[in-house]
Amino acid sequence: MNNTDFTRQTSNLDGIESRQHTIWRAIHADPPLLVGIILLCGFGLFILYSASGGAVDVVQRQALIMLGGILVMFIVSQFNPHVIRRWAPTIYAAGLGLLFLVLLIGVEANGAKSWLDLPGLPSFQPSEVLKISVPLSMAWYLASRPLPPKFKHLFWSAFIIILPAGLIIIQNDTGTAIMVAMSGIFVILLAGIRWRIVFLGIFSLLLASPAWYLFIAQEHQKNRILTFFDPYRDPTGAGYNIIQSQIAIGSGGLYGKGFGNGAQSHLDFIPESNTDFILAVLAEEFGFLGVLLLIFLYMFVLIRGLFIAYCAKDMFSRLLAGSITLTLFFYIFINMAMVSGLVPVIGLPLPLISRGGTAILTLFISFGLLMSIQTHGKEINK
Amino acid sequence: MPGKWQLKDHEAERLLFDGRLLTAVVLIALFFVALVLKLINLQITQYEYFSARSDGNRLHSQYVPPARGLIFDRSGELLADNQPIFNLTVVEEQVVDINETLNFLATLIRLTDEDIAQFNIRLDRNRVPFASVPLRYVLTDDEKSRVAVNSHLLAGVAIEPQFVRHYPLSSLTAHSVGYVSEINQEELDQLSEDDRENYGGTNHIGKTGAERTYEDLLHGTVGYEIVEKNNRGQVMRYLDRTDPIAGKSIELHMDARLQQAAEKALGEFRGAVVAIEPSTGGILAMVSKPGFDPNLFVTGISNKDYSVLVTDEVNTPLFDRTTNPYPPGSTVKPFLGLAGLHNDFVDYDFTIQDPGYFRLPGVRYRWGDYTLRTVIGGGHGQTDLQKAIYQSCDTFFYDLGHRMGIDTIHGFMSQFGFGQNFALDIAYARTGVLPSEDWKRSSRGEPWYPGDTINSSIGQGYMWATPLQLATAASIIANKGKVKQPRMLKSVDGEPYDQVITSKIPDVFLKDPDYWRYIEEAMTMVVHRPFSDQFRDYGTAYEAIAMVDRDMSYKMAGKSGSAQVVGISQDILSSTDIVVSDLNKDHGLFISFAPAQNPHLAPQIAVAVFVENGEHGSSVAGPIAKAVTDKYLLDILQIDFDTLNNLPPLSEPVKRPLITVSDE
Repeated sequence: MNNTDFTRQTSNLDGIESRQHTIWRAIHADPPLLVGIILLCGFGLFILYSASGGAVDVVQRQALIMLGGILVMFIVSQFNPHVIRRWAPTIYAAGLGLLFLVLLIGVEANGAKSWLDLPGLPSFQPSEVLKISVPLSMAWYLASRPLPPKFKHLFWSAFIIILPAGLIIIQNDTGTAIMVAMSGIFVILLAGIRWRIVFLGIFSLLLASPAWYLFIAQEHQKNRILTFFDPYRDPTGAGYNIIQSQIAIGSGGLYGKGFGNGAQSHLDFIPESNTDFILAVLAEEFGFLGVLLLIFLYMFVLIRGLFIAYCAKDMFSRLLAGSITLTLFFYIFINMAMVSGLVPVIGLPLPLISRGGTAILTLFISFGLLMSIQTHGKEINK
Repeated sequence: MPGKWQLKDHEAERLLFDGRLLTAVVLIALFFVALVLKLINLQITQYEYFSARSDGNRLHSQYVPPARGLIFDRSGELLADNQPIFNLTVVEEQVVDINETLNFLATLIRLTDEDIAQFNIRLDRNRVPFASVPLRYVLTDDEKSRVAVNSHLLAGVAIEPQFVRHYPLSSLTAHSVGYVSEINQEELDQLSEDDRENYGGTNHIGKTGAERTYEDLLHGTVGYEIVEKNNRGQVMRYLDRTDPIAGKSIELHMDARLQQAAEKALGEFRGAVVAIEPSTGGILAMVSKPGFDPNLFVTGISNKDYSVLVTDEVNTPLFDRTTNPYPPGSTVKPFLGLAGLHNDFVDYDFTIQDPGYFRLPGVRYRWGDYTLRTVIGGGHGQTDLQKAIYQSCDTFFYDLGHRMGIDTIHGFMSQFGFGQNFALDIAYARTGVLPSEDWKRSSRGEPWYPGDTINSSIGQGYMWATPLQLATAASIIANKGKVKQPRMLKSVDGEPYDQVITSKIPDVFLKDPDYWRYIEEAMTMVVHRPFSDQFRDYGTAYEAIAMVDRDMSYKMAGKSGSAQVVGISQDILSSTDIVVSDLNKDHGLFISFAPAQNPHLAPQIAVAVFVENGEHGSSVAGPIAKAVTDKYLLDILQIDFDTLNNLPPLSEPVKRPLITVSDE
């Protein structure tokens, strides 16, 4: 074998690679992101199988939802970001309209009056729509303004965020309201809002928090705060979840108890072991190394998301991709930190691992947006 | 809008955005590091602690109660066995809201206020945390399924199978075998530390009778098991187990068939029958009537059932008539006779001319012949000791008792168990009263009057004895003085049980052992001496026993007695349910042993019968003793007396347990 052969072979490899690139681009898929998502879904189904006590139907249903999600993701990724950008205000307005509708004819479930039960449609939560439409409209709004945003623009940005978040709080779904607000705030942060304003905001939040705690916070919210600081103040009531989940995590040790051997979860000591607290099941059965693997998979997806934001060709796409990725991180971190006792309990699922319905679809829509941004209107091999 | 686009510095904005992305990457990394540090803290640093907590969550050590030993009669028939029931139990620590749970349960199954009150009492007792506490015993199949279907709503509630005591003979053994019932706080407090551990899984304890006496043998040793329980307290897996050691099964001397026969023989009467095997002291039958169903007590008797039992002042079913004292009446006469012979106050030739009454020297008051009080005029005429016994001549014994004095009577008769509890394993038996001058001074603060002796001489006045004592005393005469203390226990787990006798009771020695024969002969005449031309010369029980059964194949020695009823409460007298005169009737008594005067066979059974308000010892109590004796000798032992009687007389007299020589 000589040098020429080597060069020829290498260029030939390049040719295959670019052809593959072309195929992926044609179907508007981002292979690394897709691989990360599929790995996470597989891992999630695997854990769910154990967490649900080997309930095949639960796992099948989740797999179907995930398949549906992937389909939705590909549908979304077919749209050019420009088209999406044009529709952003409309989607936002429609989302707000649905929220108002919920106020009028919403259905209550799990203490939150956030469900809409329209004839001919499966019941869904309009607040899910806002998880997408708020970052969309924020990116739409700020991308066409000079950055860093001026005070006037910040004011309107705040309006765009607070209006839906407020409506969702009225529905008694604080967790979702926070997530919706955060997805908008991430856009502002990425748009280069001055750090002093950020610190001022954090500082004033800290200052306001005692007042919130004393005057606004509801009893269960106060309880969660108190429980966070001392779970053992009510070990069989408010503190039960976090105590049991910490026991599950801690007793998993480095290597875990093995798949299907998690005593805490299989003996029903972990509440919500299929949904919000599924990390405790993972940590118990696969130990510290299992959680590290999950973090690694998440990191892979997150870095790819940030990379897509970094490569995006216009500010709208950048802001949107960045916000979507950071919101995903926020979900991941808040859930993991809550289950391990790092932050107070907030009812949020672990993305792609927890059992769920519409929330998973929302997640896949945002992945579709990322893929759309990555695969439209860019140079090959960018 | 285009104007604004021109204002934008795309390169600067891009740099700004990229800076923010970099910040985001750093922050994400930092947050994940914080998360990983927290995980390291939980999963590696505190692994041991949480591992132990996890085991503590799921692993529970629980008691495994031992199976209670069974109780058999002498022929192997079950007197007490264990049967499975299903109980509803609650682990309080796992119940979210106890009141809500109880209210919900009340909609599913029958749950009375009383059940709940009982449950609360059980909860208040010292108990291990996470121990299950019975809420209701004996769930029906229907109730079981209704609870099972709703188990997801009933955290901490479980259905637990349990073996509980069952008494197949029901009321027949209610007093003698006794019953177990739920252990109460007092009983728990009395247990030693070790015992309390041993009773950790036990809900029941022997309350009365043999169940109580042999609690230690019957209970066994508690076992343990380590189980894995889920969040709702359901046992998922058994991980380790130390088996309990079942209680020992015991065999009683009692014979269920004889017990049945005695109960049947008592018929409608209230009363008691005690039968003893003289050679061993084994109690063959011990019946108090009316009885009650001891099974009611096992799973907690309801207030209603209980009040029925305790408010019946006439029948007093809970009252054990076999071990409670009554005036023994004329049944004491053979013992007084023996005392007179032994102490030289009478001999075989001694007679009195009985006018039908007795008068203390210098006292005008006449003690009438109690047995003749309904017969106008006359006494028994010329009367020796034997006639005084078979005719039950009061006057003879007034005279004899008066001459001996109460302390001589007391000293002699106490050897037969009067005034004491000779029973080895019936600690709850009362001692009755065998009066003496000292006894009256210390208990009544009064001196002993000569008239007291007269009353005592015919088993009245201060003299009180239990049917158990009378049967024991009769068995000592049957044994010619050899004392075999009465006992219930025959063997333990098939091993003959030699009772550890702490206080050996000395045998009764007479100056001349022939006195035993003489008294046995007199007592045999009570039953067998027929009517003759002689004035008042028949046995008092002849008409009711030997005359009824003319083909009687063995001889029975007996003595009848009737005792005046004392101390009927005004409450009972004013009761409308019962004819007052019935309650004023004398108590009928009879003691016997058989076969008597048999050259081939020592007496096999001694019986004491007490019939409350039975009026006559000879005609009412006597046939009951006969029926019990018949059952035992002819049906159970199946002794063929006709063949036996046709055997040539032995060259040596039959070896009786004790004739002259002490075995010490």
